[in-house]
Parts: sequence; C-alpha cells; structure tokens
Amino acid sequence: MRRLTLLFAGLLLLPASIGAAQGDPAEVKLEWKSGSTARLPLRCEPFAPVGDRDARTTSVQGDEVLAADLAGSAVFQVVKTWDPTSSGSTPQFVTGGKWTVRGTQLKLSGELRDFPGRRPILVKEYSGPVADWRGLVHRFADDIVLQLTGEPGVAGTRIAFVSRAGRDMELCVMDFDGHGLTQLTNDRSIARSPNWSPDGSLLIFTSYRGGTGPQLWVMNPANRKPFPISTRSGINTSGIYSPDGQRIACTLSQDGNSEIYVLDARGGSPQRLTNNRSVDTSPCWSPTGREITFTSGRSGNPQIYVMDSDGGNPRRLTYDVDYTDSPMWSPKGDRIAFVSRTGAGFDLYVCRSDGTGAQRVVSGGSNENPHWAPDGRHLVFSSNRDGALALYVTDLDGTPPRKLETGGRKALSPAWSPRH
Amino acid sequence: MNMLRALVLVALVAVAAAGCAKKTVQTPPAPPAETPTQTPTPPVTPTPTPTPTAPTTGLPLDQATLGKLQVVYFALDSDAIDEGGQSSLDANARALKSTTGDFVIEGHCDERGTAEYNQSLGERRAKAVQQYFADQGIALSRITVVSYGKDRPAVEGSDEQAWSKNRRAEFSLRK
Repeated sequence: MRRLTLLFAGLLLLPASIGAAQGDPAEVKLEWKSGSTARLPLRCEPFAPVGDRDARTTSVQGDEVLAADLAGSAVFQVVKTWDPTSSGSTPQFVTGGKWTVRGTQLKLSGELRDFPGRRPILVKEYSGPVADWRGLVHRFADDIVLQLTGEPGVAGTRIAFVSRAGRDMELCVMDFDGHGLTQLTNDRSIARSPNWSPDGSLLIFTSYRGGTGPQLWVMNPANRKPFPISTRSGINTSGIYSPDGQRIACTLSQDGNSEIYVLDARGGSPQRLTNNRSVDTSPCWSPTGREITFTSGRSGNPQIYVMDSDGGNPRRLTYDVDYTDSPMWSPKGDRIAFVSRTGAGFDLYVCRSDGTGAQRVVSGGSNENPHWAPDGRHLVFSSNRDGALALYVTDLDGTPPRKLETGGRKALSPAWSPRH
Repeated sequence: MNMLRALVLVALVAVAAAGCAKKTVQTPPAPPAETPTQTPTPPVTPTPTPTPTAPTTGLPLDQATLGKLQVVYFALDSDAIDEGGQSSLDANARALKSTTGDFVIEGHCDERGTAEYNQSLGERRAKAVQQYFADQGIALSRITVVSYGKDRPAVEGSDEQAWSKNRRAEFSLRK
C-alpha cells in the first residue's frame, strides 16, 4: 500500500487546501490530473471455469464484464490476456480466479495479486444464482477498487435517464454499463431531470403526465408506479432530494416567477428560498445539506450561485463564463460541475466549490446535464457529439468520453445512482 | 386660429400616445369598447386580477380558429414581446374575443438554452402573452399557461433558421 500512496502523491499537484479539506488527497489528485499515465496497469486473466460443463459460457462473459468494470473505474489501465489487441505497460497487478457453476448456483472465487510476484492482495468468494452473475462480478470489481484506493468502485450503480422517441420522452433506468435497460414510464408525455433518493430506492422527476405542464413525480423503479409530489400551479421542476432524504429542493412558479423552494419529502410545507424577478432554478444540495447551489438570471444572464439551505447568504460563483446552468455538487463536496454556453451548444466545466479554478472538462458538440458518479471520479452527461443524442461518461482525466449503450435509443438527462 | 392650435395639439397628443404604446408592452391599450365595464381597473397590478368577465356570447373556440392564430416569436433568452409580436397578438386578441372557451398558451424555447432554464423561460414567454391578452380584455379565466422548454421544437435543426422558429408562444385547446 505504501508504494501505491507514493504513486498517487506523484500525480498533478493541487493546492493543498482541497485535499486537506477532503481528508483524502489521493482521491482528489487522481481526479484532477490530465493524461492517462496515472492509471495503474492491471492484467486481467480469464476465470477458470469449473463444475458444470457449460460454466464456460458465462465465465467468458464474466471476464469481459470484470475487465470493463475495472477499466471504467478510471483507476486501472487494463490489459486482457485473452485479447491480442489489448496492450499496455508492464502490469503491477493481476486478476483472475475460479468460476464454479453447479446447477443454478455460481461461486466466483476472485483473486487480485501483485505482479509479477503473484502474492495475494485480495482473495474473496461471491456466491449467488448464475442468473445474477453480473452482480457478482460487479461486487468483485468494486472490492478490487476498494482494496487499492480505500473507496469502493461504482460497478454496482445504475443510471436513470430519459429516452426520446419522436415527441415522447420516457424515464428509463439501466446498469452503469448499459446492461438491463428498463423503461419506467409509458405515458407518451415528457419526462425530464430524474434524481435519485439518497438510498437509491426512489426517483424524483419532472413529468408532463398530468396534462397541465411540468409537475414533480416520484417513482420506485422496482414497481414503476409514479405518484405526484408537487402539482402546484405553474411549473414544478428540478426536484432533488436532500442528502438525508428528508427534504426536496425544487423550482416552483406558484408565486408568479420561477423560485427555489424546499419541500418536505412528501411534497408539503413549501419554504421559499429565493425572491427576485428573474429566473432561479436548478438547485443541488451540498453533501452536508447545509448549502444549495443553483442557477439565477439575476445578473442579466444565467450564472451559478450558492446559498445557505435556508436561503440566506446567496453569493455568485461563476463570472468568466457565458450562460451557465446545471450545477451539480460533487459527492465529496469539493467541486461543482456545470455547463456553459458555446457558439454550438454547451461545454462541461468543473470548478472548486468556492467558484475558483474553473476548468473545461468536455467540449465538442453540445454537452448537457452532467451528473456525478458516487465516487466523484466520473460525470455522466448527454451529448450530440457523435450526431444523435446519447449518454457519455468522462473520467475527468483527459481521456475521451466513452459512450454508453442505450439500445439504439436517443438518450438524455442522466442521473447516476448512489451505491446500494 | 384657435382651430389650427387645437388641431396641432390633437396631433401632438396622438403622436405621443402612439410613441408610448409602441415603447412598452406594459402600457395597456385603451380598454376595448365591447368589454362590459365594471369599475375602471388600475393600469398595471402585479397580481392578475380577474377583471373582465368571460364574454357570454360568441362562437365556441375550436381548432380551426386556434389554427388561424399567429405564433409569436421571441429573441434569444428574451421574454419581451416586440412590435411584430404585438401586432400578431392584437390580431389574435380580436379573433379570440369573438369566441368563448378556454385555451392554452404554450411557451417554447430553442436548444441554445439549457433544459431547466428553458422550462422557466418558456413560462415567462407564455405569461407575457397572457398578460398582453389580459390587457386587451380577454378573461384570465380562459387562459392556461404551459411551458414546454425546449422539448417540443417546431422545427428540428441547429441553425438560426430553426432556432428562430422554436422561440415562440403558440396556442392550443385546453384538454
């Protein structure tokens, strides 16, 4: 582990205050560096299929999923030994193990070792139905990331988003790697801007299903029954749960103009936080729940602001960028992602939570609605960078964003789930 | 001589009035004659007061009439109704006043704004039109305002040609 820490410490330096405030400088430095040399070279060897004769039919898929999970973690540079086109620098680590299928049960004996010494670093068994083999592989991948970084990975997370077909925009959910896509609404209206409850059990989203304009609805993706949370007159948009799940920040225009309100978790007891004649919208809580970042047009064009969660002490965060919106506070609280208008659409930016150090992290095409992964290492966003609207993930390290498969659907407005 | 001075005075007043009317949407036009007048309403109040009652006579509003209404277009990032918009709305108001029945003002935006901000901007556009109609004596009780942000563009495309057609307020029947 000491060798690893030294390795991280050698990455791009940031002002010490950020790392110190977050308690884990290694994390922040990994996220902020540009270029991909910092990834840990890791060699994926195939699992040995054992037990039933057809064990290999799932084990070879498991090999690919584990390699994709580890590459997608942004911690590793992965070489697949079974793939001659896969190459990289001399590995420091190697993964493998046994894949035992007996009837409907799978036992995955996962191993992480150093390389070339092959001394064990992590040896762990995962058991469950063969049908859930992906879940077992994701858990192994997240444990590998935990072992080497001190924080679990995000392979077990999901992404909610909106798929567009003609005029209809429907809410969908899928695994973080695009597998298991499920459509959650089918009301042929407009769904928008989903956000997860902190325990990952509920999605709050904007919906036109009521027929009278945008309203806030909530759904448990497991039973797909939507129920209304705020159907007040005017617009009801931008719903987002507080970190403790007890409150909902949102945009309402019931008093005549878009303002930011906080509701209780059932949509009652509205408390108004902003009060001016321009648009205020897009609230997002800080991870402590003590502050809210939002967008306001009070300066003449939309810019990012922060206020206390009771509405006090509002201050402007962004100055040197054009029309900005979609602020999202990072899970560790140190940064805020947002979008800024270009001639052709929007670029993604990340700044520190005090507004300093704004950096453009994604450009090209139009890129919108960034949403942090729970480890703060990635942003999912929608973009038309390759033509049709689709979802992409940036690892914030200068590598090109990678496209998420959404089964040929036009996809936008993504929200990354918390870990379950 | 007196008559000449009177004429000049009348002309000056007319010019001044015309100038005022063009300058800002906020100035309400003279109350329409056919409105059943109760007490004279104060010029501009921030809270919409349901002043004119819905006309009790007139044809029920149908899709054909709505389809003939002129779409109102807006400048980028703006909810101000320009001169072209005012003359469109004047014509629309005349058509609507000869009808009874409720309708929806839809506010729309182009893709150069963000989804969230556009939902708010679209509502401001629709409400600006609503206020204009109210000032023309159309009962607020007939009007529902819905913002679609940028999610229902009139024209697909990523150029000014498409954008200018998408920044709009249009009209539909209340479902």
